[in-house]
Amino acid sequence: MNRSKKLLATWLNKLVALWWQLIPLEWRSPTFWKDSAWAYIYLAPALIILGVFTFYPFFSAFRLSLFKVDIPNYPGQYIGLDHFRYIFGDKYFWRALWNTVYIVGISVPVTISLALLVASLLNKSLRFRAFARTSFFLSYITPMVAVIMVWRLMYHESYGLLNYFLSLFGMNRIAWLNDPAYAKPAVIILNVWRYVGYQAIILLAGMQGIDQMYYEAARIDGASGFQAWRKITVPLLTPQIFFLLIISMIGSFKIFTEVYVLFNGPGPLKAAETLVYYIMRQGFFGTQHLGRAAAASMILFAIIFVVTLLQMQIAKRRVHYQ
Amino acid sequence: MEAVRTGEQYVARQRAYRLMLYVLLAAGCAVMLLPFFWMLTTSFKTEAEALRIPPQWIPVSFRWQNYIEAWNAAPFGWYFFNSFFMAITTTIGEVFTTILAAYAFAKMRFFGKGPVFAILLGTMMIPGQMLLLPNYVTIQRLGWYDQYQALIIPWLVSVFGIFLLRQFFRSVPDELRDAARIDGCGRFRFLFTIMVPLSKPAIFTVALLKFMGSWNSFQWVLIMTKTATMRTVPVGLQLFSSEVGTAYEKLMAASVMAIIPILALFLFTQKQFIQGVARTGIK
Repeated sequence: MNRSKKLLATWLNKLVALWWQLIPLEWRSPTFWKDSAWAYIYLAPALIILGVFTFYPFFSAFRLSLFKVDIPNYPGQYIGLDHFRYIFGDKYFWRALWNTVYIVGISVPVTISLALLVASLLNKSLRFRAFARTSFFLSYITPMVAVIMVWRLMYHESYGLLNYFLSLFGMNRIAWLNDPAYAKPAVIILNVWRYVGYQAIILLAGMQGIDQMYYEAARIDGASGFQAWRKITVPLLTPQIFFLLIISMIGSFKIFTEVYVLFNGPGPLKAAETLVYYIMRQGFFGTQHLGRAAAASMILFAIIFVVTLLQMQIAKRRVHYQ
Repeated sequence: MEAVRTGEQYVARQRAYRLMLYVLLAAGCAVMLLPFFWMLTTSFKTEAEALRIPPQWIPVSFRWQNYIEAWNAAPFGWYFFNSFFMAITTTIGEVFTTILAAYAFAKMRFFGKGPVFAILLGTMMIPGQMLLLPNYVTIQRLGWYDQYQALIIPWLVSVFGIFLLRQFFRSVPDELRDAARIDGCGRFRFLFTIMVPLSKPAIFTVALLKFMGSWNSFQWVLIMTKTATMRTVPVGLQLFSSEVGTAYEKLMAASVMAIIPILALFLFTQKQFIQGVARTGIK
């Protein structure tokens, strides 16, 4: 009896010792827990606000997409996947998806290519470089709505500058804002103009971080300026180019303000309605279908998520880090 | 290999090449600046001049009245007050929450540090538009709809700011803190009397980006407010534009006014501004 008790005690001791081994060294000191408490006091404001306005809505968006949302009787009636069924059967959803892909597909590569050209120019030792840098940057920092107002005037069919320039070359007027065929190009031109300077600044910072030694080695080996640019500058810029590719694709998938302000609506015959515009129209303009808008925003999230993952996969193989 | 060129040919080619670069640069600048130039000159024109084709590049006489008329045609006083109020409070608030959180991540040991930081970085992948709708519901249920709380409190934190400042705080050597502690300086005092002054450039960057983002924000304000006296400049400008019809000279005057605060901030802090934005690209 006594012996078995002793045996049990030693086994228990061994078990406790084993558990003790598993606990990280750090956790054993009382000061660690005191420090932890302090750290969470420091983090509290940020974590509380992020909790309420980022984490909670992230999960509640999934939930809301299954309800016929009614704020006074929150969350309203459970209706399963009805919203998704509606959306996938709505031709305006598919049109919005197509419009978004069209705008992303053209404006992202065009902006990055132009930005690369601009950054290469700004990287040369030219006069007025500081002035040029500022003028390229201006479109990015100024409030978008104010800038779109002047584009509205410039796109105007009869009084616009763009059509005036076209007429100088003997071309016909274009109803930029009233012709469905030109609604998306109008958004794309505006978008490229707005972001080319920002992207050029990012690329320029990357270029200035490239070690001059590579260029000297290339020059000694008899490489031309263009060869050095193609074989040194561009490959060593791939981290920046990749960063821009991701954020500009994500940004363009989320286009809303440009369309809403430029056309004061979704464009002629909804020709420029984007995914986010579609979400906003379902949720906030006219009759409020909050649940349906939540469901549509799930689809937006899924698309952005997949695009980001794909790009990460590609980046693993294609991006050079110094 | 090319044949060796004579010196003269080489110089001529170089000169032509440089000329081409200048032409390209000038063309680029012209395209970028034309809308701003057009906005500014149109804002001083009469209505007839604003709609003239071929365009009137410079107005015959500068009509300053356009600005006064535009200002009086809509509650721009409120729009500007709200914009300034929102931008300044969110900037100060964000700087404060960011300093505290970044310090915890940079210099403190605590339970769950790695996972919490990873989760915060993960939230940067969530598109804000996806959160707009549930946040609208939350704001409604909190009773903040059409109130200043809705414009300010959700914007008091930026994960990107925390990330940026953490990098900066980490570069401050730990010996400094140990020395301060031996001298009897508490953690909180150390943070605000030593770390913060040392990190001024990074904090300034965080503040600038925030101010700019707040001033330019549109979609959130459009959704979360409804009365004219709660609107900010961008939303007010959009409303104004649907009222003025073809009075483009007034619309342009209002647009110039909306740009001026950001432009002034940019011109005074250009170097930090550009460096700050360039830093967003270095991961």
